[in-house]
Amino acid sequence: MLRALRRCRPGPVPLPALPPALGPGLGPGLGPGLCPAWAPRAVPVRGRKTRHDPPAKSKAGRVKLPPPVDPEELLVVLERYRQHRLVLSALRAEFRAEVLQRQREERLAAGGSAEELEEHRRLMAWNEEQNARQRARREERLRKEEEEQKRRKLEIAEKQARKMEAFLEEKEKEVLQLQEEAKNFITPENLEARIEECLDNPRNYNFAIDKDGRIVKRTVLS
Amino acid sequence: MVQLGSRLLRGRGGHVVIRFALGGCTNRPFFRIVAANSRRARDGKYLEQLGCLDPLPNAHGEKVAGLNLERLRYWLGCGAQLSRPAEKLLGLAGFLPLHPMTVTGAERLRRRRQREQQPEAAPADGSAEPGTSTGTSTGTAP
Repeated sequence: MLRALRRCRPGPVPLPALPPALGPGLGPGLGPGLCPAWAPRAVPVRGRKTRHDPPAKSKAGRVKLPPPVDPEELLVVLERYRQHRLVLSALRAEFRAEVLQRQREERLAAGGSAEELEEHRRLMAWNEEQNARQRARREERLRKEEEEQKRRKLEIAEKQARKMEAFLEEKEKEVLQLQEEAKNFITPENLEARIEECLDNPRNYNFAIDKDGRIVKRTVLS
Repeated sequence: MVQLGSRLLRGRGGHVVIRFALGGCTNRPFFRIVAANSRRARDGKYLEQLGCLDPLPNAHGEKVAGLNLERLRYWLGCGAQLSRPAEKLLGLAGFLPLHPMTVTGAERLRRRRQREQQPEAAPADGSAEPGTSTGTSTGTAP
C-alpha cells in the first residue's frame, strides 16, 4: 500500500525522552499510538554550516523520523485530490476547446471573403471526387490482381498434382517391371540348375562384320 | 540581444507555469501572478502578468488580490501548469475548485483549536474539585 500508511503501523519505535514542553509544538493531528518522537518545529535551513561540514556532537544520537500520518485523514485527502484533479482536467479541456474555437474563428475571419471560401470548398470537393475515382480504380486493379494470383496458384497446384501422379505411375511401372524380371533372376537356389542349363546349351556369340555393316552370325564353330 | 544560458536552450524541455513572482522590499513582500517558462528565474522574464497578490492584510484586515480571468483561461487552455500556491489562491477565489489541502488545513486548525479548548475546560472543572486531579489531559483522541 502507500508508503505513508506504512508509517502508521505501531512498530518498534525508538522513543527518546520526550521534551516536557511539547504543547503547541505538536504537529498537526497527532493520532493515537503513532511515533510521537518527531519534535522539531523548525524547517531545516542551511544557516551557518554547509553540507560538507560534519554534524555537531549534540546531534550524535539524533534519530530523524518522518512526520506522522493519520491513515483516515490520508484516505480522505487522497479522495479529495482525485476529485480535484478530475475537475481540473475537465476545466482544462474546456478552456482548450475555447482556445481552439477562437483560433478557428480567427482563421476563418482572416481567411478572406465569401468567394474565396466558396472556391476553397469547391476545390476541396473536386479533390475528394478525384480521390474517390483513384480509389475505385485502385481497388479494381487490386481485385483483378488477387484473382490472377489465385488462378495462378490453382494452376500451380494442379501441375504439381499431375507431376506427382506421373511420377508415381513411373515408379509403379518400374516396380512391376522389376518384379517381372525378378522371375528370371539367378538365386542361390537356382544357381546349380542355371549353371547346368548354361553348360548344357552352349551359345555362340561370335559374328563377323564387314565394312558395309553386314553381320554374319553363322560361323565355322557352330 | 537575447542572452540564452544553457538552462534555457531550446530542445531541452520546459513548460509554461502560472506562479507567483516575488517583488517588493525588505519586510514588504508583493507577489505578481505571472505566466512564465518553468526554467526561468522566479523573478525573471515572464510571458505575461495575470494578476497580483498582496500577502499583508490591509487596514480592513483583507488580503487583496487581482486576477485577469480572461487571460488565465487562455493560458490554461494553452496547457499551462499551476504552482501550488497559485492553485490554492485560484481555489479560494472561486475560479477553480478548492484545493484539498485548503480544506484539510482548515479542518486540522479547527480540531487543534477544539483540543486546546478542551484542556482549558477540563482544568477549569478539575481545579474546582479538591486537588485530586493532576490536570494531565493532554493527548486525548482528536
